[in-house]
Amino acid sequence: MRIGIPHCGNAYVIAEALVQKLGNGKNELIIPPPTSHRTLDLGVKYSPVEACLPFKLTLGNLIEACELGADTLIHARGTGVCRLGYYVKEQEQIIRDLGYDAHFFTLDVSQNRVKSIMRLIKELTNDAPWSKIISAFSFAMGKLFALDEMEKVIHKVRAVELEKGRANQVYRQAVKAISEAQTIREVRNTAKEYVKKLGQIPKDPKADPVKVGIVGEVFVVLDPFANMDIEMELGKLGVEVERTMSLSRWVKYRLFLNYLGIDEWEQVHKAALPYLRRSVGGDGWESVGEKVVYARDGYDGVIHLAPFTCMPEIVAQNIMPSTEEDIPVLTILYDEQMAKPGMITRLEAFVDLLKFRRKRRRK
Amino acid sequence: MKTYLGVDVGSVTTKMALLDDQDQLIACTYLRTQGKPISIIQQGLEDIRKQMPPQAEICGVATTGSARYLAGVVLGADSIKNEITSHAVAAMHYVPEVQTVVEIGGQDSKIILIRDGVVVDFGMNTVCAAGTGSFLEHQASRLNMDIEEFGSQALKSKAPVRIAGRCTVFAESDMVHKQQIGHRTEDIVYGLCQALVRNYLNNVALGKEILPPVVFQGGVAFNQGIIKALEEALEVKVIVPPHHELMGAIGAALLLREEIRTDSHKTNFKGFEVSQTDFTVSSFVCKACPNLCEIAQISVDGKVLARWGGRCDLWEGAATG
Repeated sequence: MRIGIPHCGNAYVIAEALVQKLGNGKNELIIPPPTSHRTLDLGVKYSPVEACLPFKLTLGNLIEACELGADTLIHARGTGVCRLGYYVKEQEQIIRDLGYDAHFFTLDVSQNRVKSIMRLIKELTNDAPWSKIISAFSFAMGKLFALDEMEKVIHKVRAVELEKGRANQVYRQAVKAISEAQTIREVRNTAKEYVKKLGQIPKDPKADPVKVGIVGEVFVVLDPFANMDIEMELGKLGVEVERTMSLSRWVKYRLFLNYLGIDEWEQVHKAALPYLRRSVGGDGWESVGEKVVYARDGYDGVIHLAPFTCMPEIVAQNIMPSTEEDIPVLTILYDEQMAKPGMITRLEAFVDLLKFRRKRRRK
Repeated sequence: MKTYLGVDVGSVTTKMALLDDQDQLIACTYLRTQGKPISIIQQGLEDIRKQMPPQAEICGVATTGSARYLAGVVLGADSIKNEITSHAVAAMHYVPEVQTVVEIGGQDSKIILIRDGVVVDFGMNTVCAAGTGSFLEHQASRLNMDIEEFGSQALKSKAPVRIAGRCTVFAESDMVHKQQIGHRTEDIVYGLCQALVRNYLNNVALGKEILPPVVFQGGVAFNQGIIKALEEALEVKVIVPPHHELMGAIGAALLLREEIRTDSHKTNFKGFEVSQTDFTVSSFVCKACPNLCEIAQISVDGKVLARWGGRCDLWEGAATG
């Protein structure tokens, strides 16, 4: 089997690590090239025009994987009433119509699908023993946690570094070093080393960054190509970014803790209750709740990211401004038509708004 | 005399405003960008130089508008500000109690909500230009009319026709249809003004609480027809400030003045020689990763002043070297 995967931020690192530990010569992992404008062009060309950006980008990734000879494609199926629920079927059909004879594996991450995931793992690993699978999995998770920890740190450092761009350089080295690490111990030590390096970057003693929480649809929140590197751009503007969602958290809860009855969103849903009493599909309920939580925690503002035409997030967008917990919200909708300068102008204006507001409040 | 220059390079027009240290406008220029921002900036600077009193000296330059970074590099700006903040600051300067700013320019339109002297929310058109100056100008040329006489024609209308203004293409076919069945030009023109206002209120201003005083600025505020249509739709009197077309440039200069007040500052302004400098722009495709970003660069005598256009910061750092 030549297994192809779509991209979403640093997710490929887990696949890479799993294959490294479980590879048996029979299966080969095809990681498509990093998402690029070509990926987007391919995705747009072969997608229905009304499909959302995550659909188009991941389709582009899968086509690029097929071009490199992938014959087995893995895709995650979302939960709830979001259209992603049937996207895998649609993508499968499009890939077939393009003439690729690829077999699709659906990683169904909705509730109580642990059996199907287990079956998938067994099948992809040619029935490797569970002990081996578990050790490979913890290695992969170790890498993912290390990368996400790095992101948490860089969100703070970028906002206050004296020489803009230093943190990004260190971060790029860190991602490389972590993805090259061979053992879990090496991963941990590398992470520790780079957290220290990031901490040593000279900071502006006068910096007083505004704090912004990022909420929204999971794919555009987690994928820097999809969201036009919004976190990096906010860092350049001297903004400290916080984001609850991360791949490691997602995997940790969706694949493990949810089955033990632990719901990572319990508090957030509770916060959303006065404004929205139920899931509206995708991540809409969480967006509303997170806004309330960020407001309570004293953040200066919330930036809400969503793919254009994303129904759950449109519901959330219309509820968010009217919550009693009052902090400014900027919604940014992404599609293939969007140009980055427009986003930058809005971010700059939003940051000015937050700064003026803060100055006023402190008086 | 100390003076401060605000420069607003938009997609359609380029505006410059020179303020003295009492924030009074002492020189200004309003030019069409014509897709050549650098030579228009040079030409604008010449205009300003000719209007400047002999004892005046430029102590700071601020740029804004969609070409603010380019303008900042060309002129040597002390401050580069987005156009939303600039417009808000200028509106508050002329109408301190303002609560809503309506700004309609050549390619974009904005709404800014201000409460107690602080910007609390804003909106900007996203993908469609149907509610902007370019749309009006295009339709005026279809009607064989100068954009300058568009407003006065609109005011003559007694029975405006309803035109579908949601989309430029449909508006055009609707307008042609209304002409073919014999409506008067002034009624069509005012119908277009109403369509533009409707479009603005339904898109840019959707869900925003519009409270008076409403300040209307930007190039389109020259148009009497739009002012009337806006007042009818909002049912309030709309204030068009003096120099409404220069508000972005004035706001940028005001923001700069505020910054300079707190810092002892020496300007980066390169001087009026900029008008004679030969700037070269070029672009190349970066091959460092599969993303193949198009990097644009601006240079003088082979020395690169700035580069931009990349997804990462690979080339941004190189610009200073």
